[in-house]
Amino acid sequence: MMNEQNIRVKGIYWKAAGCLLFLYVLIGGMIVPLKSGVTQLSTTSASSGDTLAITVTGYNTHFAEAKNNRAWLKIDSAHHIQSYNVKAIDENDIVLSFAIPNAMPTNETPVAATLLIDNEIDGVIVQPNAIFITNTRTDTTASATWMASALGDFNKVQGIKFPYRNILNETIRNTFFHVALWFAMFALLFAGVYYAIQYLRTGDYTMDIKSASYTKVAILYGMMGLLTGAIWGKFTWGTYWPNDIKLNMAAVAMMMYVAYLILRGSTTDYDKRAKTSASYSIFAFLALIPLLFIIPRINDSLHPGNGGNPALGGEDLDHTLRLFFYPSIIAQILLGLWMGQLLIRYEAIKERLLSKNKINQTPIVGQSNPI
Amino acid sequence: MNKRHILTLIIIFLYQSITFAADKTDFLRSTGKIYVVTVGIAVIFLGIIFFLIYLDRKLTKLENQLKK
Repeated sequence: MMNEQNIRVKGIYWKAAGCLLFLYVLIGGMIVPLKSGVTQLSTTSASSGDTLAITVTGYNTHFAEAKNNRAWLKIDSAHHIQSYNVKAIDENDIVLSFAIPNAMPTNETPVAATLLIDNEIDGVIVQPNAIFITNTRTDTTASATWMASALGDFNKVQGIKFPYRNILNETIRNTFFHVALWFAMFALLFAGVYYAIQYLRTGDYTMDIKSASYTKVAILYGMMGLLTGAIWGKFTWGTYWPNDIKLNMAAVAMMMYVAYLILRGSTTDYDKRAKTSASYSIFAFLALIPLLFIIPRINDSLHPGNGGNPALGGEDLDHTLRLFFYPSIIAQILLGLWMGQLLIRYEAIKERLLSKNKINQTPIVGQSNPI
Repeated sequence: MNKRHILTLIIIFLYQSITFAADKTDFLRSTGKIYVVTVGIAVIFLGIIFFLIYLDRKLTKLENQLKK
């Protein structure tokens, strides 16, 4: 008796789990630092035979504090040179001097070289296509030569750090919020469709209530997903809405679900409302698959995971990001289920009060005098 | 007229020095764009708050009908 009275929240365990997981994602996802990266290079071009001095500006770097800064320019696995003079100006600025050999490995020009900087505090920073070396084809007088030895003894990154991506910078943390939101939305829509099918099979009205509630929460998640995505895009792609295929298809999908809401509001007859919205929600869910997954992958898209971009995985989803990404999906699904259940319980209470004639049927918005 | 001219010149001068002294990027792009993440989290928080307000109003309507 005492236990039942103390726990006033139904299903407190999974709801608390959802909240704690989300708190973990929020705190951990914001506190974990980024790996070191390069934000600026004083020059991006050079010629063969040159002596090149680059000033590199880094992010989250400790050039002055580190005792052993090393740098390389690498063309491919058999051609690299090490910087002969590395001088740290301060924690984030360092001057690297390279003696580029006269002879280039191939005849094509310019050749893109990857810049690697390594020290014992930051680990190794890799900046592909950092320097473009023009082949001036001078004769092979005595000069430095490309080394072919394997570059392997890099320092390891200490602790957990998120990947550094040049344009994303800190916004890579949005993976836990924007991306997880869409995954959670999908799960909630799946729950909605499941109950819709159950309603069509059994005619049980409570199934329709459940389907509608979870779908409504999923629509809220979808709107938030569009909004967080637009904000993220403004500061990475430069615009809120680049008229990109994935975004346009996502907007079409959300419009379909707004139509679902309008459909539900269009009639007072519970049976008709339940039948039409159940069938519509199944159709809408099935339509999501070509809209959100198939069409964007066929076309060119700015959005990660679609035509022209590597899929979500590989370099976009590090093992450090996964530590927070998967819990975030679970947390947002649990929170969405909580919100859906509140809507279900509201409808259930309303039904019971209606059947006991304690309240009147509320009229539809806009309809002043039901005939 | 002299005073107004001087005031205008002072305002122009101050405006220039403020803009030149400021960060070359705006607030949301500074410090590695961490505040873009903050705005994203705020959107999610506001979304949940809007849901709470929606639910609260529905329950209030129901309660008011009961009281009658």
